Amino acid sequence: MPAMMRRRVDRLGRIALQAAYDAHVDAPDAPVVFASRYGDLGRSVELLTQLARSEPLSPTSFSLSVHNAIGALYSIARGDTSAYAAIAAGEETVEAAFTEACGLLSDGVPRVMVVIYEEPVPTPWEHFCRDVAFPHAWACLLSASTGADAIHLDCAASAPAAPVDAADLPADLRALRFLVSGASRWEHATGGRCWRWARHA
Amino acid sequence: MLELEQEIKRLVIETLNLEDVKPEDIDPAAPLFVEGLGLDSIDALELGLALQKSYGVVLASDSKENRRHFASVRALADFVSTHRTRS
Repeated sequence: MPAMMRRRVDRLGRIALQAAYDAHVDAPDAPVVFASRYGDLGRSVELLTQLARSEPLSPTSFSLSVHNAIGALYSIARGDTSAYAAIAAGEETVEAAFTEACGLLSDGVPRVMVVIYEEPVPTPWEHFCRDVAFPHAWACLLSASTGADAIHLDCAASAPAAPVDAADLPADLRALRFLVSGASRWEHATGGRCWRWARHA
Repeated sequence: MLELEQEIKRLVIETLNLEDVKPEDIDPAAPLFVEGLGLDSIDALELGLALQKSYGVVLASDSKENRRHFASVRALADFVSTHRTRS
């Protein structure tokens, strides 16, 4: 990304963009789904704090505080006018991103890139997040498949899930662990739903 | 005035996160926007806010006037030196 654009991107945006640039190399035309549970929440905290103190807001920070800002900067830097989505769906953000990607694939797009990025929830909201928190991003290219390497994802109603163990990984990294580990299944129960990930089904 | 120009250069670099740009890289007479340094309209707003905080200058909403004040570092220094309410 050119330095004149990069200067506006904070840590979270930088790691998301790094993952996006790296994964896009193999399919530069793939439309993109950016997804983050909490997004660039640090910016919102900063802006709200300034508002509460009746201080003027930073126009740059304001323009970048929307959830699709990182994806938008990426599309501008690449001069890419294809489809871009920005998703936040709480604990189910990865599943929502993959569902969106499946929609694009069923529309006939050969490949879709999904970029997941998260940062620890900033003060004063850190108690809302019980996961192990550290900044991270990952990206992958998805294509439709009926072969042996296919991954199935479906969703069913289930009894309310027990709260996640505080020491567990965030949901997006548990999804990544399933994707890269070769495990045959992973059930992700959250709220009143259970997302069932499976291989060789 | 030279000192104020230097000060404004540092303010521009710091406020707008201009990585790899040093004060001596900025020609005080060169355009700040589009050509020259290549800044855009969000930078203009951000810079206006920083000038207001640092020097107490108030920018009018008259865009023609502002375009003149924001033409270059030198023009900004002129504007600040005549309108500042904070030292």
